[in-house]
Amino acid sequence: MSVLRILIKRNRIWVAISIILSLVANLTNMIYMYYVGELVNKIEERAVVSMAFIVLLAAFILLSVATLFMNQYVGRITAEKMAHTLRIGYASKLIHRSAEQGKECDTAAAMSVAQNELAQSDGYLTNTFFDITGMLFTGILAMAFMFLQNVLLTLVLLIPTLLILIYVGFSSRSLSTIVSAAQDEKRKMNQAGFTTVHAFPAVKIFEGEELCKKAMDERLVSWTKHQTKVGRFAALYNTLSGILSRVPLMLLLLAGGYMVIKGKILMGTLILFLNLQNSLTQAIMNLPNWIAGFKVFTTNLSRIEIEKRG
Amino acid sequence: MIELRNVTYKYEDHPVFQGISFRVEKGQKVGIVGESGCGKSTLLKLIAGLYTPASGEIIVAGKSAAAEITKKVTVVMQSPMLLPMSIRENITMGHDYPEEWIDMVIDAANIRSWIDTLDKGLDTYLGDRADELSGGQAQRIAIARAICKNAEILLLDEPTSALDGENAACVLEALNRYAADKTVIHVTHRPEHLSGYDRIFSMKAGKLSDETAGVIIYES
Repeated sequence: MSVLRILIKRNRIWVAISIILSLVANLTNMIYMYYVGELVNKIEERAVVSMAFIVLLAAFILLSVATLFMNQYVGRITAEKMAHTLRIGYASKLIHRSAEQGKECDTAAAMSVAQNELAQSDGYLTNTFFDITGMLFTGILAMAFMFLQNVLLTLVLLIPTLLILIYVGFSSRSLSTIVSAAQDEKRKMNQAGFTTVHAFPAVKIFEGEELCKKAMDERLVSWTKHQTKVGRFAALYNTLSGILSRVPLMLLLLAGGYMVIKGKILMGTLILFLNLQNSLTQAIMNLPNWIAGFKVFTTNLSRIEIEKRG
Repeated sequence: MIELRNVTYKYEDHPVFQGISFRVEKGQKVGIVGESGCGKSTLLKLIAGLYTPASGEIIVAGKSAAAEITKKVTVVMQSPMLLPMSIRENITMGHDYPEEWIDMVIDAANIRSWIDTLDKGLDTYLGDRADELSGGQAQRIAIARAICKNAEILLLDEPTSALDGENAACVLEALNRYAADKTVIHVTHRPEHLSGYDRIFSMKAGKLSDETAGVIIYES
């Protein structure tokens, strides 16, 4: 994790801008949703919708789109800058080894790290890291916003959500273990490949081709087995969390519908909650995948760290 | 036993040797000394059948095809080149040898006492533990592998260069004991490791000389 800390520290201005933009984009989106709810309430009450209200709503729609664009744009730049810091940092560490360290350097391991762990971390940072953090922000902000609007309806949504979170916690932990094992198998497979290339003269002289082929086949089969297990469990856990994530929606429709009928809340408020719960449950639904991805990312970083220390 | 006839070897179109010829008789022990980068290891790899000459012929134990030559030689290189497998597999390279032979090999390579301390002995997996091995232990596994093959010709490429004095002496002692009745070509930059050798070749500034006979074998 210290590599991640270094990456964030070295790009702190970009990371700070990304976080601020993510917050602004989410807040703007929520305010826009709030005004849509208000518009429905006004229509339901047959109240006059002023021109100023419509202009404000249009302004928030534009602002929401603009901040969303900026958030994604800056997020990608920040991710690319962090990935660049990681690549350059690794290369620089290898170059600046002392003669003594260089002598002990395991070329096969260094090449394996460069082609696998580094490339995967790079891809994760560029494609996923800020999307994940953005969605988590959205979920947390949505919950806070809903509390401000209606405590009872938020609790109706939150209590089953907390139960789902417990399930997600369990499934994530289980999936992380499976992912770690698969990662380890992949590392062994790559290391075996690179070491065989490194030891090619010995393999040739001692006619070890069959032994190497057998070992590579075994590693490949073992990795495939682990990888299939990851896919199977990820599908199972995501399907279950997908089904469970519908429970809060059903409860919200039941309780919210009842409250609308009884006149305790207006239809606009229910629409606002229906929109926001999507942000919350979407975040929870994808949590096992995100955690598994993050686990792979941090495992890769820790391997890069070990190789750098070597 | 080993004969190079007018051998030319090029690396990326640059000639490393051009028309080199010499002969090493069966049972002879030849040392090749010279500075780093002068082509000693390349010469050894040519003799081992790992490199193919651009022209000329290399005959080792009556064979001239590279695939046949590799069967006739055994090597210990500067780097032990261990595979992420068990100690046994690193020694036998997947070939079936009688258990008594493997026992003799680990005694000859001087690794018995170390292997006896390991829970799984010869079946200890080296993949994740290769880093934990000392240079001496790793190189002695490489020597055990070379002894296990029991080829007629032993090629040594700076086998002790990465080891400290004590380990180097131990490794050399194990090698000399094994090589008593073998044909040996030993590449090194330390002439003191070649005491008792029949011939000493020296490689310097593109010139290969037989120091023992006082003749120039090859001059680029």
